[in-house]
Parts: sequence; structure tokens; C-alpha cells
Amino acid sequence: MFWRLLWKLLRGSSGRLVVAILALVSGAMVISALLNLEFDIERKLTQEFRMLGANLVISPGHDAQINGAAPAALMNESEAFAAIQSLKDPAVVAAAPFLYIVERAGDTPVVVAGTKLEELPELEPAWRIEGQWTPSHENQIPCIVGRNVVRQLHLALGSTLLLSYLGKTTQATLVGIVDAGGAEDNQVFMGLAEVQRLAGLPGQIGLAQLSVRGTAKNISEFAARLAAALPSYEVRPIRQVTEAEGDLLNRIRLLIGSMVVLILALTALCVLATMAALAMERRQDVGLMKALGGSIARIVTLFMAEVGVLGAAGGFVGAILGIELSRWMGQRVFGTAISLRWEIFPLTIALMVAVALAGALPLRLLGKVKPAVIFRGE
Amino acid sequence: MFGRLVRESFVRNPRRKVLVAAALVVGMAVATSTLTIALEVGDRLAREFRSLGANLLVTPQADTLPIEIGGVDYRPVNEGAYLSETDLGKLKTIFWRHNILGFTPFLDVPATIQQSENSDPILAMIVGTWYAQNVSVPDGTSFKTGLSVTHPWWKVQGRWFHDDANECVIGSALAATMPGVTAGKVIYVTSRSPGDSAQGQPGTTQAIALKVVGIVSTDDAEDKALLVPLAIAQKLSGHPGQFRQLFVSALTKPADTFSERDPLKMTPTEYDRWFCSPYISSISFQIKTVLPGTDVRTIRRVADTEGRILSRVGTLLWIVTLAALGAAALAVAATSATTVLERRAEIGVMKALGATNSLIAGIFLAEQLLLAVAGGAIGFVVGAALARSLGASVFGTPASPRLILFPVILGIAAIVAFVGSLIPLRRASHFNPAPILRGE
Amino acid sequence: MATLVQVENLRKEFGNVCALAGVSFRVEAGEWIAIMGPSGSGKTTLINILGGLDMPTSGQAIVDAIDVGRLDESGLTRFRAQKIGFIFQQFHLVPYLTALENVMLAQYFHSSTDEKEAREALERVGLGDRVEHLPGKLSGGEQQRVAVARALINHPKLILADEPTGNLDEANEETVIQLFHELHREGHTILMVTHAPSIGRLADRRIAFAHGRLVEVPASLKTSL
Repeated sequence: MFWRLLWKLLRGSSGRLVVAILALVSGAMVISALLNLEFDIERKLTQEFRMLGANLVISPGHDAQINGAAPAALMNESEAFAAIQSLKDPAVVAAAPFLYIVERAGDTPVVVAGTKLEELPELEPAWRIEGQWTPSHENQIPCIVGRNVVRQLHLALGSTLLLSYLGKTTQATLVGIVDAGGAEDNQVFMGLAEVQRLAGLPGQIGLAQLSVRGTAKNISEFAARLAAALPSYEVRPIRQVTEAEGDLLNRIRLLIGSMVVLILALTALCVLATMAALAMERRQDVGLMKALGGSIARIVTLFMAEVGVLGAAGGFVGAILGIELSRWMGQRVFGTAISLRWEIFPLTIALMVAVALAGALPLRLLGKVKPAVIFRGE
Repeated sequence: MFGRLVRESFVRNPRRKVLVAAALVVGMAVATSTLTIALEVGDRLAREFRSLGANLLVTPQADTLPIEIGGVDYRPVNEGAYLSETDLGKLKTIFWRHNILGFTPFLDVPATIQQSENSDPILAMIVGTWYAQNVSVPDGTSFKTGLSVTHPWWKVQGRWFHDDANECVIGSALAATMPGVTAGKVIYVTSRSPGDSAQGQPGTTQAIALKVVGIVSTDDAEDKALLVPLAIAQKLSGHPGQFRQLFVSALTKPADTFSERDPLKMTPTEYDRWFCSPYISSISFQIKTVLPGTDVRTIRRVADTEGRILSRVGTLLWIVTLAALGAAALAVAATSATTVLERRAEIGVMKALGATNSLIAGIFLAEQLLLAVAGGAIGFVVGAALARSLGASVFGTPASPRLILFPVILGIAAIVAFVGSLIPLRRASHFNPAPILRGE
Repeated sequence: MATLVQVENLRKEFGNVCALAGVSFRVEAGEWIAIMGPSGSGKTTLINILGGLDMPTSGQAIVDAIDVGRLDESGLTRFRAQKIGFIFQQFHLVPYLTALENVMLAQYFHSSTDEKEAREALERVGLGDRVEHLPGKLSGGEQQRVAVARALINHPKLILADEPTGNLDEANEETVIQLFHELHREGHTILMVTHAPSIGRLADRRIAFAHGRLVEVPASLKTSL
């Protein structure tokens, strides 16, 4: 009879339940979408912050001699990169070696950076490039040239750049023009091997730059592990990036987080109010059942079961819709879908059931009400 | 009689009104605070993003190619072009002068450093700059700017130099190679300007004694350099009143497709709109106008990261605000709907007495509107307080309440309460009074 | 005959209003009593107290050797389920339960449900063909007959009827009164509030109320005292 009654309660008064179900579903939808967002926002934002470029530098230690423009101390390329690879950390977005030498393009001295060109777009996503990052033909030596160099040397895409260093020369094809708004605008980027050959420094690099995803804490932890693997070199986060990023990330998280808490509270209140109103509508029924000899425990259990089932159903449907909503929000805001957290499901449903039950709590108060009072319509 | 009915309904059963009023207050409070934050967040976050440092770089237009690695220019002092220090005050006269938060000129000079008059000279870069310099603005005011604003992440052990003293701050990497150089020690800096060999002029030698007041760590090439007040670097290089690079930190609006357009191809209206928006492109255009002969470049890393995150957080907040508005609307609508449902009996009686549907609706709606105004007003005050403390906890300074939101919130409250009771009232208009009166 | 209901100096006050001002009477098992009097004279209050829906301010109301005034909340609940069958003027059927389920609800609260028995109870009141109807689909008389079936299903010691025909037209009134006749013949004890003298006359005895007091003790009661 309990289940029969429950079924009838849910079916029989569907008209009045519409408001409650609407509130429950939309509440659960907003809650699950925002929870999903809140859980994922840090990952998303740290990813966005990779726009700032490299945030970790490996360099020869401080004991290096300072010697003007010439690369003072050098590192072993394979040693440094073997260490990076051995950590196998998926947080590493990009890692590129750099070897700077000052070559001559005709009469003009120009800083040439030997690096892995294919890592640059990942390492420095903010750089604007005209042309391509990687060459279209196998048999050329490609170079990417800063826009100031292009202007000074009157170059254009596809033109050939003749570079010389201590008697050795190389001929590179200009495949891309970079606008970075910094020192890089005055530099030429080429394949590392070619620069090493010109400089007569095979296997040597001046420094390595890494773009590592994560919070300031993650990054310093990663730096510490990398430093342990490379005891002879210095590994340090670039403070301009990590410090500001950490601070901004915290603020944005706090901001979004507090907004989410506000809305969660509001949504919960809304559901609570609706469920309370629904429960109060059952006053008459409670009074009648009491008059017929139903014990309060039994009656309250019945109506609690009703709102509990409503809460679970609303939570379930709402969670599904909410996950769709967070997908849409992720697409709209970040251009990529937010990754789904399945723990949202039970969390949302549990929250909705709890809120719905809390909303029905006033029914317990009816236990103290004399049925006669309810019949008198007070 | 109408007013009396509405008044009576308030006085007779205040408990029912409490629920609707509470929903209104809470809903409108959340709406107010999220709207306030959403309206402020652009400015606030943009300011926070200035901790990333400068977003604009000004260099001489007719320059030779700088030999620049990691921010330090290794060119000899006689090569390339310079900019004049005297024009810098004009930066605070452009249309968006209040958005120019700071600027710092740089002048790099290769020089030798000696710990004492006759110790071994060490070759190093001397970086001349401002830490906190007072710049006089043509409008008669003065403006304090320098590294303190544009490079907040440069950390000094000891203290920074005074811009008008013979002091210096030594880069941490350089300091490591010069044992014995600590704060308080005096070092000797000598530069040789090579002169003009073509005209046979001999080079001149400048030597200056500087007191080390701190060790700076920048995590960049400056760690290997000696930072000195700009005036000293100018003396060393023989270029008084001049500098090579200027870093500008400006508050900007995230770039969009409109801001990326070529201003020369805009219609006059579009041009005005572009000029009067704090886009980074319009600010750099305005800087170029007051500093002729310069090249103003956007530091992409900083500007693009800022623009991207600002616009994303902005969109996100608006979505969240919409969700808050939606939830608030739902809360209010649901509670008003239930109060109407609860009063079916009353409606039945009124209808039995011959009241028209519109009269009943009028009474209920008048009541809901009164509640909406009261609840909306209280909600606005509560929400403004909430936004204040939220702003204080997130940005350190409280978000100021926006009075413009007051009528908006009242309007939303009224509409929501209205719509919320309209639907059940429509249903009520179909009520047959008889079964209601019988209590079914 | 054994005394089923014994009321001694029963008082009930609602704030300053005195609904029952010291009422005493007895009802023997198997009697059909009509409680009469104008509105507000305390009839419904008396029924509510006897049915365990309301508590007396002072005095005793003993039903089947149970002093209702001394029962706690759960005792009252058990008392209502086991001893009392209620029939209300407003019927008070649960609108979203069928006629059958409304009857079964009382069984459920009493002990356990027995659908067959519930059907038989409805057949007895002449609603064998309408067991699956919702109250909204039944006429007033039919609804009241469902209420009667519901009141009888647990074989209560005492049937309390508060204006059972107050909402019915004459034809339906006749049917319901007929049911009461049958119940009476079967030996049920019935306390019925009414202000229709025509119905009151059908009862064994009449107790008249005015301003919370008995105003006239019928001859039969006098003799039994």
C-alpha cells in the first residue's frame, strides 16, 4: 500500500507537481553545470595562461662568466632534454632549446636563435606569425624572422637570408615573419643543428625554455623535480609569468567560485521554497490521514518519500541537462568542451534529494497540528 | 475597496507574504551582486593583469637592429637611435591618459665594473632605468612611475636605488660572480664611448662611483647586469636625456575583431568609436601621435593573454550572472505561484460574489507588485553589501554599488513576480468556484 | 447493554471562547444518537474530542473504556485507527486515490490492506461498479457512501458522523440515511451531528446543544440515569 500510495501521490497530483519538478530540474541543471565548471575552471584557466609563453627556464648555473653577447656557458642539449623526457609529465606543453649567437647578415649583426621551430607555436602561442612555423619544402633551411629584422634587412616571405659567423655561412629561406612585441622581433630563429654547426658547438645549447601547465605550486614542484634530475644546471620558473599567473588564477577562481556558491545557495533555496510550498499543500491530506488513524511517522515517511523521489528524479534529469549546459558553456567560453566529471552526477542528485527533503521538513511540524484544526481550514 | 482588499490581504496573512518576500530578497540580492561584479570585473581584472607588467613597447622608429637577447641590448652606445626623455610627460596627455598606469625607459650601456680603483675590471651591461621617478606632465601635474609599476615582479634584496642618487642595484647572477659585493659597498663603473672613428674623434672615458644598495633578481637577462638610475646610464653612454626603449603599462579593453581593423579604413563614426575605446591598438596609436618617430609595439604575450582571459572570464561571468538571474526568477515565480494556489479558496469566494477575473487578477498582481518593490529594494541593498564584501575578498577593494542597477533590479523583481503569479492566476480564472468552496 | 461512551463534565475552551461548558451524558452500545443544536453550539467540538481529533480542556470522555483525554499522540492515532469510524460533512476523500484506495487507506492505517474486503465494503454501500473511480468522478452521495465504507472497514466501536447529509440533495440524503439505518440494525453505535429535525427523529435519542451545554435531556436518557 505504501508504494501504491506513493505512486498515486506522484501521479495523481501531477498538475501541482509541475512547478516543483520544473524548479528541481532547472535547479539541478544549474547546480550540475556550475559544479562541473567550478571543478574544471582551474585546468581551463591554466591552459589559457600558457598564452604567456615559457614559464620555466633551464640555464647553466650562476657561476657562468658574464661575457657580453657571446653565450657564456653552455649546456648539453641531449642531457637536458633526456631529463625533461624522463619526467614524462603531461603538464609540459612545449619545451625548446635555445642557442643564441650573433651572426652577420651582410654587414648587419643580428641575433640568431637556434631552436626547434616546431616547438615555437606551442611554446609562444601569443606570437603572431605571417607565413608558416614549419617549412613546406624539405630541402631548404627554414628560418623565422622577427618583424624588425625583416624591416631592417628589407626581407619578405620566401626571400633568402645569407648569414655568416666566423667565416662559416648558411643560406636560409624565410618561411615566417614573427610579431612578438619584444626582443624576439629583433631575432632570427633557425633549426638548432644549423646554428650549432655555424657556431662550432655541436650538441650544445645556451638555455632551454619550457611551457608547463598548472598552478604556481604545480610548476615549482615540477621545477624542483627537474632540478633534481639536472643537478649541474639551474632550473627556475620565470617569475613574471608564474607569479602573476598564480595571483590572477587565484582571483579568478575565487571570483567564479564565490559566484557559483551564491547561485548554488540561491538555487537550493528556490528548490527548498518550492518543496516547502508543495509540502504545505499536503496539509489537508496529512490532517485527513491523521484522522483516519495514520501515525505521524507513517504519514511523514510517505510524503518524504514523495519529495525524495521527486528530488532524485529532478536531480537526475537536471544533471543530464546540466552536463549538456556545461558542455555548451565550455564551448561558448573556452572554445573547447569542458571535460565531464562523472562525480557531478551523484553529487547533484544527492544535493537535490537533500534539498527536497529539507524543503519537506515543515511537514514534520504538522505532526503537532491537531487534525481538527486543519479541517476547520485554519 | 480595491486598495482595502490589497491592504487587508497583507495584514491578514503576513506569513504567506514572508515566503514570497524572502524569495524576492534573496533572489534580487544575488542578482544585484552578480550584476555588480559582472559590470566591474572587466576593469578590476584588467588592473590585476597589470601585475604581468608592461603591455606596450616603444622604440625609435629609425633604429638599427638591436642586438637584444632576453631584454638586454648589447649594441654599442654609438649605434642606433635614441628617444628623448623630455617628451615622456606627454604620455599622460593622451585621450586615455588615465589608462596609462606607468612607463619605464631603459638605456643599456656596456661597461666595466671594478670593486676598487685597481682591481680587475669585469665586463657587464649597465641598465639605466627609473625606479620611481617623478615625471612632470605638460598640464602642470607630475606623475610617479618606473619599475615599481611596470616590473612588479623584480624583487630586490636591500632596497632600490634613488633615481637621483649615485646608487645602483646589482643583478643576482652578476653579484654571484663578484664575491664581496654586498649592499653598502661602492663600486666603480667605467664606460668607453668609442668615439667616431670616421671623423677621427677619440673615445671618451666616463668613470662613476656607485653605491650598491640592493641585489635584484629578475629571472631574466637583467640578473647579469647592473641596474642604475637612468641619468647615470645617460652620463656613461654620453647620451644625456635619452633612452632606447620604453615599456608602457596601460589598462586596455580586450581586443576584438573591430579593434583589429585598420583605423585608416574606418568610417568617421567607426574611427571615433575606435579612438574612444581603450583598445590596445587605439592607445598605441595615441602614444605614437604624442611621441613622433617611435614605433609602438604590443607585447603580444602579455596583451593577448590578458585579452583572452579577460574576455573568457567576462563571458563566463555573464553566463553565470544569467544563471543567477534565471535562478532568482525561478525562485520568485515559484513562490508567487504557490501563494496564488494556496489562496484558491479566497479566489473561489470572490468569484462567487461576482468578482471578474480581471478584478481578482488586479488585486493579486497589485499585491505581488508591492511585494516586488519592497523585496527588490531590500534585495538591492543586501546584494550591494554582498558585492562589496565579494569585491573586497576577490580584489582587495570593495565593489562600489551601482545605483543604475536599482531600477533594473526593481524592474526585474516586478516582472518576475508578475509573470510568476500570472500563470497560476490564469489557471485560477478557470476555477469553478463551487468545488473550491466545497473544499475539494 | 454496556455503556460505550461516557462523557463527564466535559469542557473545551478555545482561548476565551468556551465551546463545551461541562457536558455529561452516556451512550450505550448499539445506540443511535443524534446531536442537535444551532451552529457554534459545540456539536463538532464534541465529535472531534470523542474521535480523538481534539483534546478536552477538562472533564472526561471515555470511549470503550479508554479515556481519550489521557492518550498521548501515538495513543490517539492508534485509538482513531482501531475504535473510530469518521464520516464528515465534506466527505474528505483523498482526491487522487480511487474509491477502493480510499477505503484501503483506512485499512492500511489500521493494520494491513485487504483489497477483497475493501471491494465488499464498497459493494455493500452500492458502489460495486464504481470502485476504480476517483472521488472527482463520483456524485456527492456516492462520495459519502465511499466515506461510509471507509468508516466501516475496520469494524469500529463507534461511528462519528458530522452532518453526513449536510452536503447532499434529498435523493442522496435518503440513500445515506438508509445506510445508517442498516448500520444501526446491525448493532453499530452511531453518534451523528445534524441540525435537520427530520433526520434527528430517526435516531434512538437526541441530545440538544446550545452555547456549549446540553439544553434538554430526552426522556429516555433520564430513565437510564
